[in-house]
Amino acid sequence: MADDKPDIGRWVDEGAKAIGLPIAPEYRANVILNIERSLAIAQPLLAVELDDELTPAPVFRP
Amino acid sequence: MSDPLSKVATAAEIAHAVAGGQVKASAVVEAALTRIDVTEPTVNAFTDIVAQRARRRAAEIDAGRHRGPLVGVPFAVKNLFDIEGLPTRAGSKINVDGPKARRDGALVRQLEAAGAILLGGLNMGEYAYDFTGENAHYGPSRNPHDPTRMTGGSSGGSGAAVASGEVPLALGSDTNGSIRVPCSLCGLFGLKPTYGRLSRAGSFPFVDSLDHLGPMARSVEDLALSFDAMQGWDPDDPACTDRDPEPTLPSLRDGVGGLRIAIAGDYFARGGEPDAFEAVATVAKALGATRTVILPQAAAARAAAYVMAATEGAQLHLSRLRTRPQDFDPDTRERFMAGALLPGSWYVKAQRFRRHYRANVLKVFDEVDIVLAPATPCRAPKLGQVMMTLDGVELSVRANVGIFTQPISFIGLPVVAVPTAKPGALPIGVQVIARPYNEQAALRVAAHLEKEGVCVSTPA
Repeated sequence: MADDKPDIGRWVDEGAKAIGLPIAPEYRANVILNIERSLAIAQPLLAVELDDELTPAPVFRP
Repeated sequence: MSDPLSKVATAAEIAHAVAGGQVKASAVVEAALTRIDVTEPTVNAFTDIVAQRARRRAAEIDAGRHRGPLVGVPFAVKNLFDIEGLPTRAGSKINVDGPKARRDGALVRQLEAAGAILLGGLNMGEYAYDFTGENAHYGPSRNPHDPTRMTGGSSGGSGAAVASGEVPLALGSDTNGSIRVPCSLCGLFGLKPTYGRLSRAGSFPFVDSLDHLGPMARSVEDLALSFDAMQGWDPDDPACTDRDPEPTLPSLRDGVGGLRIAIAGDYFARGGEPDAFEAVATVAKALGATRTVILPQAAAARAAAYVMAATEGAQLHLSRLRTRPQDFDPDTRERFMAGALLPGSWYVKAQRFRRHYRANVLKVFDEVDIVLAPATPCRAPKLGQVMMTLDGVELSVRANVGIFTQPISFIGLPVVAVPTAKPGALPIGVQVIARPYNEQAALRVAAHLEKEGVCVSTPA
């Protein structure tokens, strides 16, 4: 599955270009590190299956 | 009853003494300003001190012009609260160039309407994206119990100001744990109310879907007093509930009889140092709680809270990230930049999952009234510490101090953070969690633990 691993460097470079966010070379490595960290932390959420009926609560009421 | 001019005096004791004429509000303010003067070089809690305003207000109180349950009580607020005439820093350098606040934030006004006296704005992690209390622009707030260690954040100055005895009461904000984490590391009581329970109007946002404001203090009575003074619908905060205020003080001493109390298992019973679970066990034992409940999918809840914070926070600051990246704290800048690049589908999924998780957790609260969980996975880390080891895994301090708080605030449950201590060790806190709008039950439990001497907050 190693081929499925995203190229985070490209993700950062192209994504930043797409949204018009200049990322100076000295910040780039740490942005990549934080995307990697986010990918790892987000996994339990991404693994959840949700029913189609489950819509967000537009005004959240606990 | 403590000396109302001393650092151990609670807000309730001060208000009682001022209302009874035993001490002048002016003397209380001068004593607090003197303490701040002496203590600041050690703890670095304040970024702004409004001494003139406080003295004027104290003189008005002494002239009989203000009354209320918090009369004469000095307090301070995390510097994301608007203070009239000052820029709302929100821990940043950038905001200092922005407009000055035209009036105080809603909760500041409500506390002052109850007789309290604002002393100033408190240090915090930049734009509240922080669990450490460190700040590159203003220096770290330092833990009064050991100034080489973190206060926790992002309400770090609030933690330091109250734990050092500079003031008896401070306000903080809590998006993912920013009240509960510094309360845990500094040994304080703190209330993160139900989402929408207290107005956020006149405060600088971080993650609108998750932002809460609340009090931090050294006594449970002070939490109840201030919470009651701040409740009420505010049309200036779209998320603010229109439920009638439900005062918590009258039943604060009702004890824990009739409350079904359980310990959160699974996710909340691993991934921390033994101290964190020992603290929960100590509190559970004192409450006679033996039952364990599972908040299902807590790891996904933590993930979703993380994604929402990263995405909403980044969007809020995107224009500043484009134009003034060099003026951000290096410890927030690249995290915000990364947040701006996360997929939109993650964010929407997090919002959808929130409804699902809420429904499942509320089922647990059909069976119990209170759930106990660790507040932080560890005691206060060293200032500057970047990594820590939990359960044998090396993890980022910044990303992981909030692992136990995030799944709770994610669905807006009310929590009282209670402190535990043992000789020779730094404090560590426990979360006392209730169902939405049942702050009263969590405060009753905290008051019982305080009365029994299980959870006590003593200034350093």
